[in-house]
Amino acid sequence: MDQGTIDLILGLGRFVVATTLLLLLTVPTAFIVIQMEIKIIAQMQLRYGPNRVGPRGIFQSTIHGFKFLAKEDQTPDRADVPTFTIAPWMVFMAAAMSMLVVPFAPGLVAFDSTIGVIYFFAIIGLSVVGLLIAGWASYNKYSLLGGLRSAAQMVSYEIPLTLSIVGVVVLTGSLSFTEIVQWQQEHGWAFIWQLVGFPIFLIAAAAEINRAPFDMIEADSEIVAGPFTEYSGMRFGFFFFAEYVALFIMSAILVTLFLGGYLAPWPFPATLDGFVGTLYGLFWFFAKTYFFVFVAVWVRATLPRVRVDQLMGASWKVLLPLALINLFVTAIVVLAFNL
Amino acid sequence: MAIPGSGIFTGMGVTLRNLFRPKVTRQYPEERPNIPDRWRGRLDLIYDPFGEHKCEVCFQCAQVCPVEAIDMSGFDSEGNRIRYGLPEIYDERKDPNAYRRAGLDAQPMRNAARWQEAVDDAWVDALVDGYGGRPESLVAIFGAIETKYGYLPEPALRRISDRMTIHWAQVFGAAGLGGFRLLPAEGHLVTVCSCAACRFAGGDKVLAALEEELGVHAGEVTDDGAFTLEADANVGAGAIAPAVRIDTLVYGPVTVDEARHLIYARRADASRGRRRTASA
Repeated sequence: MDQGTIDLILGLGRFVVATTLLLLLTVPTAFIVIQMEIKIIAQMQLRYGPNRVGPRGIFQSTIHGFKFLAKEDQTPDRADVPTFTIAPWMVFMAAAMSMLVVPFAPGLVAFDSTIGVIYFFAIIGLSVVGLLIAGWASYNKYSLLGGLRSAAQMVSYEIPLTLSIVGVVVLTGSLSFTEIVQWQQEHGWAFIWQLVGFPIFLIAAAAEINRAPFDMIEADSEIVAGPFTEYSGMRFGFFFFAEYVALFIMSAILVTLFLGGYLAPWPFPATLDGFVGTLYGLFWFFAKTYFFVFVAVWVRATLPRVRVDQLMGASWKVLLPLALINLFVTAIVVLAFNL
Repeated sequence: MAIPGSGIFTGMGVTLRNLFRPKVTRQYPEERPNIPDRWRGRLDLIYDPFGEHKCEVCFQCAQVCPVEAIDMSGFDSEGNRIRYGLPEIYDERKDPNAYRRAGLDAQPMRNAARWQEAVDDAWVDALVDGYGGRPESLVAIFGAIETKYGYLPEPALRRISDRMTIHWAQVFGAAGLGGFRLLPAEGHLVTVCSCAACRFAGGDKVLAALEEELGVHAGEVTDDGAFTLEADANVGAGAIAPAVRIDTLVYGPVTVDEARHLIYARRADASRGRRRTASA
């Protein structure tokens, strides 16, 4: 065996291990995020929230998740079975696989791609396709309308979302998440340089992953449960998981792009290296990421949802021009000061 | 508040403060509210949209009062004097004292003799003891008394209350809600309004139908004494013409069929065996 073959096998093995670990990571992540959601919203509404399953109810979301396994999995008579089956899988994999390029700690990244940013937005955008075919395959007018609405929403918000991070890319001169974090180690966190881009990303990200106040994809009084209407059992569970994993991913990407990823708020101690450094990075990464998960939950507990026309108007009339202006100004500054 | 969108942050401040405030949920099976033994729920006298008390002298408050502190009298919607009791006995309870308190001329009581009828206390006591003095046997005891007297005499009810040491309000309430006669029946007084408005609206047809139904003419009593039919212009319900009053309840506007049904309903009550005539 020559060196090339060994490298190939090692690379493949590393890839398999990394993807497996990431897929496994989605399960506790979803449980933790759902638990945060039910408990924090309850506390903000002056309730205790679920407190019977486990001490202080900490296993409530886990029980919720495993409950899906016990439920009957139904398929509508006239559903398009292959697409109906593949839709939840697509939505879930889009969320799970986009984790591949996120640097969790120094050196702890499953796939350190030089085009990580493009990969991320390509993969996370696939969830639109999943929702659309879920709506179409269900043979239900509410599902179809919900699917179309979610597609319209997510496609609209993908544009300001992507444009808002082009500012960071121009600033750092890299499409690799690892290099973006390293640039922030030298120049300070990117949100200081992107005072307009950061809020645009925050808002567009909430809309992209269907979070309040842009959670139009499910509207009981209008389109029942949107594309999820006909789904039950673990298939619905996958959509549910994907939603909360996507929330985690979006927070992680926000932290990585604008808030220094795994960097501490003060200069990274050079003495910390190897395993301890990895743990240190992991701590800050998860602390910051879960802070933004908390913010998303906090917003959901506070704000009423917007109307569909307000949603679209905000994207095309406000966020898109702002993102473009932000991009031009950033580019001019980068050129003028030769950053 | 001048900055657009600043309301979002105000709202988020509120929710963040709520996150740390004490929670209002009462953990029911573990934490139980301290309810005093004598608490029977809160009674509210609320006002209707016209600012009048909504009290209809329904006596529910008197029935739930644990120490029987509430007794009341008042006037129903037709000005009939009412005392503690149920609609069916309103006008029988026009006792002289109540009239005097209300500033009206005292009128002779209907059925005064029967109302104060002496009951066989020893028999009532034996009956109560025969059921072991248990509250759940009240209905059976009432049934036995009604079989003997044809109705439930008030002295008998008082005796039951004393003997079983149950609140008077509870005994009286159970008797009324159980559908027992609380006074000897005299039959129903059916009055068809003969005022101009009611006759114009078809009152004559209603009267004719009732005459046919009961087999008597206006001013006569049916053979079994269950109904007295009369035509009078004093029902005084112009807006609901044609009107029919049965005992103290006014119905209207009444069609011919509805008038017949009013009679059927009362005959059905009588045939259930609870509402016997006094002679039965």
